[in-house]
Amino acid sequence: MTLGIPVRNPYPGAPSRSATEPGPFVRLESRILAGPPSRDVAEPLDLHVRRIGSCPVGGPSITLAIDKSGLTGRGGAAFPAARKWRAIADQDHGGAVVVVNAHEGEPASRKDRTLLALRPHLVLDGAVVAAESIGATEVIVYTADTYTEVREALRRAITERRDSGYSTMPITVVAAAHGYVAGEASAAVHKLNGGRATPVRIRPRESGVHGRPTLVHNAETLAHVALIARAGPAWFRQVGTPEVPGTGLVTVGGAVHSPGTVVEAPLGSTAAELVQAAGGWTLRPHAILFGGYGGVWLRAADVWNSPLGGGGGPWVSATPACGILIVIPEGSCGFAEAAGVMSHLARVTAGNCGPCVHGLRAMAETTTRVVNGGGTRDDVRRLHELVDTVRGRGGCGHPDGAINQLVSALVTFAPHVDDHIRNGRCEGMRTPSYLPSRGWL
Amino acid sequence: MPVTIRYHAVSVVSQPVKVNSMDRESTRIEVDIIACDGQGYCAELLPERITLDEWGYPIVRDTPLTSELMDDANRAVRTCPVNALSIHRATR
Repeated sequence: MTLGIPVRNPYPGAPSRSATEPGPFVRLESRILAGPPSRDVAEPLDLHVRRIGSCPVGGPSITLAIDKSGLTGRGGAAFPAARKWRAIADQDHGGAVVVVNAHEGEPASRKDRTLLALRPHLVLDGAVVAAESIGATEVIVYTADTYTEVREALRRAITERRDSGYSTMPITVVAAAHGYVAGEASAAVHKLNGGRATPVRIRPRESGVHGRPTLVHNAETLAHVALIARAGPAWFRQVGTPEVPGTGLVTVGGAVHSPGTVVEAPLGSTAAELVQAAGGWTLRPHAILFGGYGGVWLRAADVWNSPLGGGGGPWVSATPACGILIVIPEGSCGFAEAAGVMSHLARVTAGNCGPCVHGLRAMAETTTRVVNGGGTRDDVRRLHELVDTVRGRGGCGHPDGAINQLVSALVTFAPHVDDHIRNGRCEGMRTPSYLPSRGWL
Repeated sequence: MPVTIRYHAVSVVSQPVKVNSMDRESTRIEVDIIACDGQGYCAELLPERITLDEWGYPIVRDTPLTSELMDDANRAVRTCPVNALSIHRATR
């Protein structure tokens, strides 16, 4: 395999916890992670109910509250939650399904598995109230086979809810093999219908699980739903910004003292605040990768004290991306990191669509050649040509996410790309990679 | 997970499509890129709307089909070995 930069230990000296365990978490604003401070034990049903009360029954008033709250999906696309609900509730045939997407295929993210392992009842409350509001009769939690803690927490939580008579909504758990594109909404539905966990050309809202209208929400989105149902939209809007209200979960990694920390923070928080919550930086930041592997590279100096997001979606305007912030320090080669991400994304395509399979591979090979010193200006032109050829031609958003990442790297690291073309490999490539391309270690 | 499928507000038309001047503006050929395996017949049959990228996968122009092109378009749809082509009429 010629692709990519060798994978180095991303966290020398970091505490060794398995990739599937809930991470350490920090609360700048305590909402969906409010409750017991333990990072090892799921909150049982009785404590959950004593702490925030039982969940109201869903219906049109809840849909209205979600609409007024301005809640957007936290899986990356930032689609308004209430619009999804209405699209399904408006359909006549009923018998809809709610799918809780807790697959979290993004290598740099651990927010959803942390949330579900620690606060399973909050997510399940949100799923049930959403189901009641749209006329759904079933909830399915879609997760990954490697998330042992999540599956155990869910198993116990579902038993508690049934045995106590707290809720009669049927809830099942389905785990797929962990994979990047396996977490895409249509891939989840395809898997639940007995297919491969790869994106397909369907509209889940019209014909999803077993042909029934299907609401697919990221796990974090539903945790917010559970709180808005109790406390109302005005409460939800008390933090965050008018455009992106509420709090969000961000996994903070890279050159910080506690990489892999899941931070709950008001939307519109700054990189400085989020990094401080993860113990502060260990080496002076040079760049950040914001939004994960399909996110954007930004110069730390440009954005350090600016609110992240503030535009279209939570955290990054106009960029479908989830809450992930990775710090690349000075003295480390950000462009080599970008090449590593590109190679990873080229390896994990669903293998379905020609432009994505061939295009991402060509982008990864070309980027890697430039990083390794075998590149020319023509290679940079070639990368832009590949971007223009492939953009918008995938069956899912995977190639466009990879392209976001690549184009922002070419802009952010432009002077350094020239150094690689003139002088070959750089000193910054001697440092360990700060990106966990195989999940948090 | 930052991956979303893109959809178009269209209805699938499975029978051979005739175009009259009323709806010419909104009839287009589309490729299901997930199903497509890049055999390339479509670009030979409908070069006015379909070209191939460097790997042999179709790049479809967003220009509506004209009535003169409908026969070729229908032939391209029928010829595709994996049924990845379809003619769509926008609903709005």
